Amino acid sequence: MTRMRIWIALVALAWAGGLAPMAAAGAADLPVYTLTFKADGTFEPARLEVPAGRFKIILVNESTEAVEFESLPLRKEKVLGPGVTSFVVLSLSRPGEYPFFDDFHPQVKGTLVVLPKP
Amino acid sequence: MEQVAFIVWRESVEALLVVGILYSWLHASPEGRRGLPWLWGGVGAGLLLAGALALVLLGVSAWLSDEGQEWFQALMALAACGLVVQMVVWMRVHGRGLKRELESGASEQIGSRHWWGLLALVMIAVAREGSETVVFLYGSVLSSQASGGIGVLALAGLGGFAAALLTFWLLQLGGRIITWRRFFRLTEILLLLLAGALLVSATDRLISLGVLPTLMDPVWDSAGLLGTEDGLGKILADFAGYRAYPALSQLLIWLAYWGIVAWLLRRASDGTVPVSTNRAKATMA
Repeated sequence: MTRMRIWIALVALAWAGGLAPMAAAGAADLPVYTLTFKADGTFEPARLEVPAGRFKIILVNESTEAVEFESLPLRKEKVLGPGVTSFVVLSLSRPGEYPFFDDFHPQVKGTLVVLPKP
Repeated sequence: MEQVAFIVWRESVEALLVVGILYSWLHASPEGRRGLPWLWGGVGAGLLLAGALALVLLGVSAWLSDEGQEWFQALMALAACGLVVQMVVWMRVHGRGLKRELESGASEQIGSRHWWGLLALVMIAVAREGSETVVFLYGSVLSSQASGGIGVLALAGLGGFAAALLTFWLLQLGGRIITWRRFFRLTEILLLLLAGALLVSATDRLISLGVLPTLMDPVWDSAGLLGTEDGLGKILADFAGYRAYPALSQLLIWLAYWGIVAWLLRRASDGTVPVSTNRAKATMA
């Protein structure tokens, strides 16, 4: 219960701080999402919704080809060999839509949707 | 399959620009030709490093953690940026004094220190793009074994490589069609733009590693005007460091880069002081 209260206090503090939450978040408590490169050459999910702040996306390459997760707006590029799993950690305070794609298969596209803080 | 050819070509264009331009520069003078073995040595070392990096990306080897890879990529980009600037400044000083030095027989004294810089630059340029090409081709080969199209794939890979060679040849041709002085200027600008793009990509990684504050993020949003997904925006992003959502710190670093480059080149052209290129690198890092 006390932990819950600390959490609520922390969230309130971060909210009040406006730009501060990026510095506050520790690596251990990051929300985690998964993005899969499917064998049929699509992203799963193609639209990934996350709350603003700092979070982690686990990248799973299930296809038999190499893929490259790339997005300039997200400041990320990551090459994954066939069957490789890796991750990226992102800090996004600005809600909006951030496109990403597979640079080795440029027609494969997805969107990261950053929702305003609740 | 044309995609394989396209990606092989695209991945090698950056390395080719660097190698091709340096080759033209060196080839243009008897003194510079002494540097050619260093250039090819850099290509060889770069290919080896590309292979080692590819093993990490494929998950075969774990000598670099995920965060380690980010750091390594960031430092490679910074080093390449510093070395390009050093090379351009050096070529400007060196190019100017070359004739006189040759006549006075003083040309022997050009130290090997610069050749090591040249080797490192070429190595990094080749390794950066080469590792991705290796991973990409490896994946394509694996999946084509399943579908039995390995012959087509080999052909496509060769096609991409042929296109890359054609690009290299066009660069050499460029040096002959337009005057040498203009070619030198053009390639100089191209290399400096590329170094700026490398610097911006390094700041991208440093920001995501959490070591570089953004100050203000983003300063503007020009995705609607000129997105970085494809077309001109992508080319500008890859070769000049354009960003649709730049952070303030990135913008300041980019401006500082051009300020320093302009200052270094002016000083080199004045030719009063032998250029200390270490200073350029220190400021850049």
